Amino acid sequence: MAGRVSSDDLMRYLDGELSPEERSRVEAELRASTELQREVAIYRGLKADFQELSFHPSTHHKSVWDRVNTRVTRPIGWLSVVAGVAVWMTYGVYVFATSPVDPWEKLATGAVAIGILMLFASVIWERYREWDEDPYRGVHR
Amino acid sequence: MQPELERELVRKCKSGDAKFYEPLVRAYEPVGLRLAIAMMGNVEDAQDALQEAFIKTYDTLHRFDLRRPFGPWFFQILRNQCRDMLRSRKARFNIEALDEKVDQRPGDAERGPERTRQRNAARELLWKGLERIGTEHREILVLKELEGFRYGEIAQILEIPEGTVASRLFHARHALREVLLAMNAESP
Repeated sequence: MAGRVSSDDLMRYLDGELSPEERSRVEAELRASTELQREVAIYRGLKADFQELSFHPSTHHKSVWDRVNTRVTRPIGWLSVVAGVAVWMTYGVYVFATSPVDPWEKLATGAVAIGILMLFASVIWERYREWDEDPYRGVHR
Repeated sequence: MQPELERELVRKCKSGDAKFYEPLVRAYEPVGLRLAIAMMGNVEDAQDALQEAFIKTYDTLHRFDLRRPFGPWFFQILRNQCRDMLRSRKARFNIEALDEKVDQRPGDAERGPERTRQRNAARELLWKGLERIGTEHREILVLKELEGFRYGEIAQILEIPEGTVASRLFHARHALREVLLAMNAESP
């Protein structure tokens, strides 16, 4: 870097991050060195180019809030549904197990219920595996 | 947004009340979107990154230290989200769609067609330069030059020591300068 001004100090000078004492020291070096003046002019030009680049995202863009809100509140809904179903199922099993029905009927009904639940769980698991391994699941457009 | 109000909103969100998250999203969305557009290079991917960043921020609020400001923490998550998306197959820096999706700056119409054409050409050159210098250089330039963050804030967002910011900026600016010179030489 030109003179006794390090590249870091030059950046901090350009970005207004130096203390007043440091700034005075850099400005004194700047007055004494044409090479440093050239460097500063180049980087100031670059900064000015960025001012031209400054842009404002279109005001027509829809806020992401609706989508964010749906996603952040969804787990609460699922938790509530799962908790409700679990309570009802436990109660149902209790009522069924303590009812004065023939044990063979209980066994047959229980086997049907467990079979349906197992089939349901295996379908969900299969769908989840397919979704997880789908290389195109992130393609929206 | 006032720091006290922001802290109170974060505190309420931490206790599980999602409705208090809306003012935070609305407050940080404009800057977040600009930052994401500059990182991703197109509006659609930027919106996806922004949405995911807000969701990840909410999901990790329990780890957030209320003594710290919310902004740099959110921008850090957004920056990581943009980087993840650029690394994955889901997105790539693509400047093609930018011009039509981004509003012109105030006063563009008064500059006249020739000035506007020159400005658009310079803008396109700079975007292409930013595309070529890679994510690491681009992100620090975007934070400094487009969003005007102070070195301390940049250090928090990029998770680097504050003393490293100046050196990273120097290398990024130097790389951009070299790329722009090469591009100018390519197109006489």
